[in-house]
Amino acid sequence: MVSFKTKGPFFKLYSWLPIIILIISVLNEFNFNYLNLKYFSFNFPFILIFFFTLKEFKHFDYFFVFLSGLINDTVVGLPLGISSLSYIFICIATSYFRNITIRPNPIKDWFYFLFIISLINSINYSILTLFFSFDLILMNYLVNTFFTFSFYIIFASLFKFYLKGLDD
Amino acid sequence: MASSRDDFIIAIRSAFLKKSTQQKFSLLTLVFISMFIIMLSSLDFRVIRYLKIGINELVYRSAFVVSIPENFLKNTFLEIKEYSTFFNDYKKDKKELSNLKSNNISSEIIQFENKELKELINDYVSSSDKILAKIIVDQDSPFLKSLIINKGSKDSIKIGTNIYDQSYLVGRVIEVNFKTARVLLLSDLNSNVPVSVAPQNIQAIITGSGDNSAEIKYIKDSSEKVFDEKSIVYTSGTGGIFKSGIPIGKIKSNKEDVSDKTTVEFYSDFSQLKYVFAEIVTKTNIKESNLETSQNENSNQNLLDAKLKILEDELNIIEDTNIKFKEENEFLKNKINNLNSAINSLENKISSQKKEIEKFDLDTKEVEFLKMNLYYGHKCRRSFFNTKGFTVGSDEYKTCVLNKGRKN
Repeated sequence: MVSFKTKGPFFKLYSWLPIIILIISVLNEFNFNYLNLKYFSFNFPFILIFFFTLKEFKHFDYFFVFLSGLINDTVVGLPLGISSLSYIFICIATSYFRNITIRPNPIKDWFYFLFIISLINSINYSILTLFFSFDLILMNYLVNTFFTFSFYIIFASLFKFYLKGLDD
Repeated sequence: MASSRDDFIIAIRSAFLKKSTQQKFSLLTLVFISMFIIMLSSLDFRVIRYLKIGINELVYRSAFVVSIPENFLKNTFLEIKEYSTFFNDYKKDKKELSNLKSNNISSEIIQFENKELKELINDYVSSSDKILAKIIVDQDSPFLKSLIINKGSKDSIKIGTNIYDQSYLVGRVIEVNFKTARVLLLSDLNSNVPVSVAPQNIQAIITGSGDNSAEIKYIKDSSEKVFDEKSIVYTSGTGGIFKSGIPIGKIKSNKEDVSDKTTVEFYSDFSQLKYVFAEIVTKTNIKESNLETSQNENSNQNLLDAKLKILEDELNIIEDTNIKFKEENEFLKNKINNLNSAINSLENKISSQKKEIEKFDLDTKEVEFLKMNLYYGHKCRRSFFNTKGFTVGSDEYKTCVLNKGRKN
């Protein structure tokens, strides 16, 4: 496993890794759908933000989360500020969940994640259709929410290895 | 009960307001900033517009650099896939090329005619240049079907500029920055294009379906059933946003689909685009250009070039027609000569036949005379007993025989 004897530049880079991955992912919008499956998509930034603001909020700066939302809006072509608001809502939700949780449970986290992303996607859909007159397919949002929820548990177990390395 | 409500309020207050360790902004501040930005982005102020253009330029370039590894993987995957179907594609392309070559000739003539007619109707010449643009960001998002190209206002790209893949329509520009622009693809739900469907000649509007195809909308119910797989869809030019006559796709027949939807399959595969063409249109008014001098030198030049091109085309067609006429003339001359010689030979034949007939007539008269001579010769011949007769062989003798003896 990764371990750092001294807290030098490599440790700093390692501790900033989630933020770097977040910014790269919004610039690139990871999709991995090379097989062109209909409706397939998942929101990687949602998983990343939820996990790290819940578990490792000290090294996960909210300002960069906000900034990555702005970048995402620019890349995707959404009205500026929509994704920032969504990401900040996740941060608020995780902050609240952290405050009320005494004994963390991964399954509880997982279903709380489903509730949060459903709520945020609904807000997103409502703002875009009501205020900006966008034509959107609701099915895309539902499938996106389902796959994001499904992949959370896989990515969460991968991120746990990262946290273990950080603790060492 | 009261204590649990207090806990909830404390947790909420803590979540919103407390600045955690190493956090520079509280979440409530960031929520307000986000809402403020959403409101500002919906307003069209000049400062915000320039700020947005600046952010777009920076983010698009960064996105292009960051996407390089993923694009490399994606392209490798596609290349491997292409190699597996290489031979079949080659055979198909070869067949298609020969068809296209034959179609191209007639299409050139139609284009020339179209230009001439448009000039007569509109009183202006529209010259267009297609510039090659590279796609720097293609996110293939399920929500918005758009892509970013590396040409912007610096290269005369405007909002509404038509974007092509070869000669097929791909979309139009919806956002222009200095050196980049966003293209809304025809497959996007927010894309509406007025089209004509041939050969039925039906006017309609196609709307993107969000998954690399489009649907025909705003059409009379009775017309929907007349489409078949041979029906092709091209822009009608209604509304002036898209040029007319640009091919888009063909009607896709789905026998399993029981709904009334008519789907259009695009000629171009939007997921495979690497480069596109942006069409820069320059409209030059003929009358105004005659009046203006130095300011419109370029546009005049364009107009003259366009006219010269038209005249050259016309000349080429006239020359071709002349050659065809000459060939036809030669053929007709030869035919006339042949016919004349045939007539001459027939005339000769007729005259020889006439001579033969005349000769035959003479022979018949001689035979007739000889026959009558046997019967009536003794009545006309001069002899000892017939002193009033004629000498044999004389004309009077002949007349006498033919008259069956002497007439008193």
